[in-house]
Amino acid sequence: MMGLIKGMGVTLKTMTKKKVTHKYPDEPIPMPDRFRGIQHLDPDQCIVCNQCARVCPTDCISLTGHKHPEKRGKVLDTFDINFEICILCDLCTEVCPTEAIVMTHQFELASYSRDDLYKNLEWLHQNNSGIRSENNVNARGVKKK
Amino acid sequence: MDINLEGIRLTEEEELKRNVFTTTLDQVKAWARSHSLWPMTFGLACCAIEMMGTGGAHYDLDRFGSFFRASPRQSDVMIVAGTVTKKMGPLLRRLYDQMPEPKWVIAMGSCATAGGPYVKSYSVIKGVDQIVPVDVYIPGCPPNPAALIYGIHKLQEKIRYEAKTGKRVTNR
Repeated sequence: MMGLIKGMGVTLKTMTKKKVTHKYPDEPIPMPDRFRGIQHLDPDQCIVCNQCARVCPTDCISLTGHKHPEKRGKVLDTFDINFEICILCDLCTEVCPTEAIVMTHQFELASYSRDDLYKNLEWLHQNNSGIRSENNVNARGVKKK
Repeated sequence: MDINLEGIRLTEEEELKRNVFTTTLDQVKAWARSHSLWPMTFGLACCAIEMMGTGGAHYDLDRFGSFFRASPRQSDVMIVAGTVTKKMGPLLRRLYDQMPEPKWVIAMGSCATAGGPYVKSYSVIKGVDQIVPVDVYIPGCPPNPAALIYGIHKLQEKIRYEAKTGKRVTNR
Protein backbone atom coordinates (compact mmCIF):
# COMPACT_ATOMS: atom_id res chain seq x y z
CA MET A 1 0.00 0.00 0.00
CA MET A 2 2.82 2.38 0.92
CA GLY A 3 4.55 1.56 -2.37
CA LEU A 4 1.45 2.40 -4.37
CA ILE A 5 1.11 5.80 -2.69
CA LYS A 6 4.80 6.48 -3.28
CA GLY A 7 4.45 5.54 -6.94
CA MET A 8 1.39 7.69 -7.41
CA GLY A 9 3.26 10.55 -5.74
CA VAL A 10 5.97 10.35 -8.39
CA THR A 11 3.32 10.19 -11.13
CA LEU A 12 1.50 13.24 -9.84
CA LYS A 13 4.72 15.19 -9.37
CA THR A 14 5.91 14.58 -12.93
CA MET A 15 2.46 15.26 -14.39
CA THR A 16 2.78 19.00 -13.92
CA LYS A 17 6.39 19.20 -15.09
CA LYS A 18 7.49 20.31 -18.54
CA LYS A 19 7.61 17.49 -21.09
CA VAL A 20 11.11 16.43 -22.10
CA THR A 21 10.28 14.76 -25.43
CA HIS A 22 11.16 16.65 -28.60
CA LYS A 23 8.38 16.58 -31.19
CA TYR A 24 11.06 15.94 -33.76
CA PRO A 25 9.43 15.27 -37.14
CA ASP A 26 6.77 17.93 -36.47
CA GLU A 27 9.12 20.54 -35.05
CA PRO A 28 12.74 20.98 -36.11
CA ILE A 29 15.35 20.33 -33.44
CA PRO A 30 17.54 23.33 -32.62
CA MET A 31 21.12 22.10 -32.88
CA PRO A 32 24.01 23.62 -30.95
CA ASP A 33 26.05 26.07 -32.99
CA ARG A 34 29.13 23.88 -33.27
CA PHE A 35 27.08 20.86 -34.39
CA ARG A 36 28.77 19.04 -37.27
CA GLY A 37 26.41 18.31 -40.12
CA ILE A 38 27.20 17.97 -43.82
CA GLN A 39 29.50 20.60 -45.30
CA HIS A 40 28.60 23.69 -47.31
CA LEU A 41 30.98 24.75 -50.05
CA ASP A 42 31.49 28.15 -51.62
CA PRO A 43 33.30 27.49 -54.93
CA ASP A 44 34.23 31.18 -55.37
CA GLN A 45 36.16 31.21 -52.09
CA CYS A 46 38.07 28.01 -52.81
CA ILE A 47 41.68 28.51 -53.91
CA VAL A 48 42.31 24.81 -54.73
CA CYS A 49 45.04 24.47 -52.13
CA ASN A 50 44.14 20.78 -51.64
CA GLN A 51 44.60 21.02 -47.88
CA CYS A 52 41.16 19.60 -47.10
CA ALA A 53 41.76 16.57 -49.32
CA ARG A 54 45.14 15.97 -47.71
CA VAL A 55 44.00 16.35 -44.11
CA CYS A 56 40.90 14.15 -44.52
CA PRO A 57 41.49 11.00 -42.43
CA THR A 58 39.34 8.83 -44.72
CA ASP A 59 40.33 10.49 -48.03
CA CYS A 60 36.71 11.16 -48.88
CA ILE A 61 37.31 14.58 -50.51
CA SER A 62 38.53 14.84 -54.09
CA LEU A 63 38.86 18.09 -55.99
CA THR A 64 40.28 19.41 -59.23
CA GLY A 65 41.01 22.89 -60.50
CA HIS A 66 42.70 24.77 -63.27
CA LYS A 67 44.86 27.88 -63.45
CA HIS A 68 43.04 31.20 -63.48
CA PRO A 69 43.25 32.58 -67.06
CA GLU A 70 44.11 36.16 -66.02
CA LYS A 71 45.32 36.44 -62.45
CA ARG A 72 47.40 34.30 -60.14
CA GLY A 73 45.84 31.35 -58.39
CA LYS A 74 43.48 28.60 -59.37
CA VAL A 75 39.78 28.07 -60.10
CA LEU A 76 37.81 25.12 -58.74
CA ASP A 77 36.42 22.67 -61.32
CA THR A 78 35.05 19.76 -59.35
CA PHE A 79 34.66 19.07 -55.66
CA ASP A 80 33.29 15.77 -54.42
CA ILE A 81 32.71 14.45 -50.94
CA ASN A 82 32.08 10.75 -50.62
CA PHE A 83 29.71 11.19 -47.70
CA GLU A 84 29.48 7.43 -47.14
CA ILE A 85 32.84 7.49 -45.40
CA CYS A 86 32.92 11.10 -44.20
CA ILE A 87 33.22 10.94 -40.42
CA LEU A 88 32.38 14.63 -39.87
CA CYS A 89 35.64 15.23 -38.02
CA ASP A 90 35.61 18.94 -38.94
CA LEU A 91 39.28 18.86 -40.01
CA CYS A 92 38.55 20.06 -43.57
CA THR A 93 36.78 23.15 -42.27
CA GLU A 94 39.46 23.77 -39.63
CA VAL A 95 42.25 23.67 -42.19
CA CYS A 96 40.53 25.69 -44.92
CA PRO A 97 42.34 29.06 -45.19
CA THR A 98 39.46 30.89 -46.91
CA GLU A 99 36.52 29.21 -45.15
CA ALA A 100 35.25 27.96 -48.47
CA ILE A 101 34.14 24.75 -46.81
CA VAL A 102 32.11 25.10 -43.62
CA MET A 103 29.88 22.90 -41.49
CA THR A 104 26.09 23.19 -41.48
CA HIS A 105 23.38 21.86 -39.19
CA GLN A 106 21.94 19.60 -41.87
CA PHE A 107 21.70 15.99 -40.72
CA GLU A 108 18.64 14.63 -42.57
CA LEU A 109 20.61 12.63 -45.11
CA ALA A 110 19.24 9.09 -44.92
CA SER A 111 18.79 7.56 -48.36
CA TYR A 112 17.76 4.36 -50.09
CA SER A 113 20.94 4.21 -52.11
CA ARG A 114 24.62 4.57 -51.43
CA ASP A 115 24.99 6.53 -54.66
CA ASP A 116 22.91 9.37 -53.25
CA LEU A 117 25.53 9.89 -50.56
CA TYR A 118 28.15 10.93 -53.11
CA LYS A 119 27.88 14.71 -52.95
CA ASN A 120 29.20 16.89 -55.75
CA LEU A 121 30.01 20.60 -56.02
CA GLU A 122 26.48 21.72 -56.97
CA TRP A 123 24.87 19.86 -54.10
CA LEU A 124 27.36 21.15 -51.55
CA HIS A 125 26.97 24.71 -52.82
CA GLN A 126 23.18 24.50 -52.60
CA ASN A 127 23.37 23.13 -49.06
CA ASN A 128 23.50 26.55 -47.42
CA SER A 129 21.01 26.41 -44.54
CA GLY A 130 22.13 26.46 -40.93
CA ILE A 131 25.78 27.31 -41.51
CA ARG A 132 27.79 27.54 -38.31
CA SER A 133 27.53 31.20 -37.29
CA GLU A 134 31.23 31.79 -36.61
CA ASN A 135 31.96 30.74 -40.20
CA ASN A 136 28.96 32.39 -41.80
CA VAL A 137 30.52 35.34 -43.58
CA ASN A 138 27.16 36.57 -44.80
CA ALA A 139 25.71 36.69 -41.30
CA ARG A 140 28.63 38.73 -40.00
CA GLY A 141 28.50 41.06 -42.98
CA VAL A 142 32.25 40.79 -43.57
CA LYS A 143 33.47 39.11 -46.70
CA LYS A 144 36.80 37.46 -46.15
CA LYS A 145 39.51 37.81 -48.76
CA MET B 1 -19.93 -8.18 -52.39
CA ASP B 2 -21.10 -5.88 -55.17
CA ILE B 3 -23.35 -3.02 -54.19
CA ASN B 4 -25.72 -1.54 -56.73
CA LEU B 5 -24.84 2.14 -57.01
CA GLU B 6 -26.88 2.81 -60.15
CA GLY B 7 -29.78 4.84 -58.90
CA ILE B 8 -28.22 6.96 -56.15
CA ARG B 9 -28.59 10.71 -56.07
CA LEU B 10 -25.69 13.14 -56.39
CA THR B 11 -25.95 14.27 -52.78
CA GLU B 12 -25.85 10.68 -51.62
CA GLU B 13 -22.79 10.07 -53.75
CA GLU B 14 -21.06 13.02 -52.15
CA GLU B 15 -22.00 11.66 -48.75
CA LEU B 16 -20.52 8.29 -49.67
CA LYS B 17 -17.29 9.88 -50.85
CA ARG B 18 -16.94 11.65 -47.54
CA ASN B 19 -17.76 8.71 -45.30
CA VAL B 20 -16.71 5.52 -47.04
CA PHE B 21 -13.01 4.88 -47.18
CA THR B 22 -11.69 2.31 -49.61
CA THR B 23 -8.21 0.86 -49.69
CA THR B 24 -6.46 -2.29 -50.69
CA LEU B 25 -5.48 -4.98 -48.24
CA ASP B 26 -1.85 -4.50 -49.18
CA GLN B 27 -1.98 -0.86 -48.21
CA VAL B 28 -3.59 -1.65 -44.86
CA LYS B 29 -0.91 -4.23 -44.25
CA ALA B 30 1.83 -1.78 -45.16
CA TRP B 31 0.27 0.88 -42.95
CA ALA B 32 0.15 -1.52 -40.02
CA ARG B 33 3.67 -2.79 -40.64
CA SER B 34 5.19 0.66 -41.07
CA HIS B 35 3.74 1.82 -37.76
CA SER B 36 4.94 -1.13 -35.74
CA LEU B 37 8.54 -1.51 -36.83
CA TRP B 38 10.16 -3.39 -33.99
CA PRO B 39 13.93 -3.02 -34.20
CA MET B 40 16.28 -5.62 -32.90
CA THR B 41 18.54 -4.59 -30.04
CA PHE B 42 21.75 -4.96 -31.99
CA GLY B 43 24.42 -2.43 -31.13
CA LEU B 44 27.99 -2.95 -32.25
CA ALA B 45 29.79 0.31 -31.50
CA CYS B 46 29.29 3.96 -30.64
CA CYS B 47 26.26 4.25 -32.95
CA ALA B 48 24.49 2.00 -30.46
CA ILE B 49 24.80 4.75 -27.84
CA GLU B 50 22.89 7.09 -30.14
CA MET B 51 20.38 4.31 -30.83
CA MET B 52 19.84 3.91 -27.07
CA GLY B 53 19.44 7.68 -26.83
CA THR B 54 16.74 7.50 -29.47
CA GLY B 55 14.88 5.02 -27.31
CA GLY B 56 15.13 7.34 -24.30
CA ALA B 57 12.74 10.01 -23.12
CA HIS B 58 14.10 12.93 -25.16
CA TYR B 59 13.55 11.39 -28.58
CA ASP B 60 11.19 8.56 -27.59
CA LEU B 61 11.12 6.06 -30.43
CA ASP B 62 7.97 4.51 -28.88
CA ARG B 63 5.99 7.39 -30.41
CA PHE B 64 6.41 5.75 -33.81
CA GLY B 65 5.53 2.25 -32.61
CA SER B 66 9.13 1.10 -32.54
CA PHE B 67 9.99 -0.96 -29.50
CA PHE B 68 13.39 -2.56 -29.15
CA ARG B 69 13.10 -6.33 -28.93
CA ALA B 70 15.75 -8.54 -27.41
CA SER B 71 15.22 -11.41 -29.85
CA PRO B 72 15.57 -11.52 -33.63
CA ARG B 73 12.50 -13.75 -33.82
CA GLN B 74 10.27 -10.95 -32.54
CA SER B 75 11.68 -8.10 -34.59
CA ASP B 76 10.97 -6.63 -38.04
CA VAL B 77 13.91 -4.35 -38.62
CA MET B 78 17.58 -4.75 -37.89
CA ILE B 79 19.37 -1.50 -37.18
CA VAL B 80 23.03 -2.30 -37.82
CA ALA B 81 24.53 0.30 -35.50
CA GLY B 82 28.27 0.22 -35.71
CA THR B 83 31.37 -1.34 -37.18
CA VAL B 84 30.91 -4.85 -38.58
CA THR B 85 34.16 -6.75 -38.40
CA LYS B 86 34.87 -9.78 -40.54
CA LYS B 87 34.49 -11.93 -37.43
CA MET B 88 31.03 -10.47 -36.77
CA GLY B 89 29.84 -10.85 -40.39
CA PRO B 90 28.58 -14.46 -40.26
CA LEU B 91 26.84 -13.81 -36.94
CA LEU B 92 25.10 -10.78 -38.41
CA ARG B 93 23.91 -12.91 -41.31
CA ARG B 94 22.62 -15.57 -38.93
CA LEU B 95 20.70 -12.99 -36.90
CA TYR B 96 19.20 -11.65 -40.13
CA ASP B 97 18.17 -15.16 -41.18
CA GLN B 98 16.53 -15.74 -37.79
CA MET B 99 14.23 -12.75 -38.24
CA PRO B 100 10.75 -13.58 -39.58
CA GLU B 101 9.54 -12.13 -42.88
CA PRO B 102 8.86 -9.32 -43.68
CA LYS B 103 12.16 -7.87 -42.55
CA TRP B 104 14.15 -4.76 -43.23
CA VAL B 105 17.66 -3.55 -42.53
CA ILE B 106 18.84 -0.04 -41.67
CA ALA B 107 22.57 0.64 -41.98
CA MET B 108 23.22 3.26 -39.34
CA GLY B 109 26.40 5.29 -39.50
CA SER B 110 29.41 5.44 -41.76
CA CYS B 111 30.85 2.12 -40.58
CA ALA B 112 27.79 0.07 -41.46
CA THR B 113 27.30 1.99 -44.73
CA ALA B 114 30.81 1.83 -46.16
CA GLY B 115 33.40 1.18 -43.50
CA GLY B 116 33.69 4.77 -42.29
CA PRO B 117 37.00 5.55 -40.57
CA TYR B 118 38.02 1.89 -40.92
CA VAL B 119 37.77 1.99 -44.70
CA LYS B 120 41.44 1.06 -45.03
CA SER B 121 41.36 -1.59 -42.31
CA TYR B 122 42.02 -5.27 -42.98
CA SER B 123 39.45 -6.58 -40.52
CA VAL B 124 36.33 -4.51 -41.19
CA ILE B 125 33.58 -5.24 -43.71
CA LYS B 126 33.24 -2.21 -45.98
CA GLY B 127 29.50 -1.85 -45.95
CA VAL B 128 27.01 -4.19 -44.40
CA ASP B 129 25.26 -4.49 -47.78
CA GLN B 130 27.83 -7.10 -48.69
CA ILE B 131 26.15 -9.50 -46.25
CA VAL B 132 22.49 -8.48 -45.97
CA PRO B 133 20.20 -6.38 -48.23
CA VAL B 134 20.03 -2.87 -46.82
CA ASP B 135 16.93 -0.67 -47.19
CA VAL B 136 18.01 2.64 -45.71
CA TYR B 137 21.48 4.08 -45.26
CA ILE B 138 21.98 6.74 -42.59
CA PRO B 139 25.32 8.58 -42.91
CA GLY B 140 27.00 10.29 -39.98
CA CYS B 141 29.59 9.37 -37.42
CA PRO B 142 27.49 8.68 -35.45
CA PRO B 143 24.16 10.00 -36.77
CA ASN B 144 22.37 11.87 -34.02
CA PRO B 145 19.07 10.44 -32.70
CA ALA B 146 17.04 12.80 -34.89
CA ALA B 147 18.85 11.48 -37.98
CA LEU B 148 17.96 7.93 -36.93
CA ILE B 149 14.31 8.95 -36.53
CA TYR B 150 14.52 10.49 -40.01
CA GLY B 151 15.91 7.21 -41.36
CA ILE B 152 13.15 5.18 -39.72
CA HIS B 153 10.59 7.53 -41.27
CA LYS B 154 12.28 7.02 -44.61
CA LEU B 155 11.85 3.25 -44.19
CA GLN B 156 8.17 3.66 -43.25
CA GLU B 157 7.71 5.78 -46.37
CA LYS B 158 9.35 3.06 -48.45
CA ILE B 159 7.11 0.30 -47.05
CA ARG B 160 3.97 2.33 -47.78
CA TYR B 161 5.19 3.42 -51.21
CA GLU B 162 5.93 -0.14 -52.27
CA ALA B 163 2.47 -1.30 -51.20
CA LYS B 164 0.74 1.63 -52.86
CA THR B 165 2.41 1.50 -56.24
CA GLY B 166 3.53 -2.13 -56.40
CA LYS B 167 6.95 -0.86 -57.49
CA ARG B 168 10.09 -1.60 -55.61
CA VAL B 169 12.26 1.19 -54.29
CA THR B 170 15.51 -0.06 -55.70
CA ASN B 171 18.89 0.91 -54.44
CA ARG B 172 20.21 0.92 -58.00
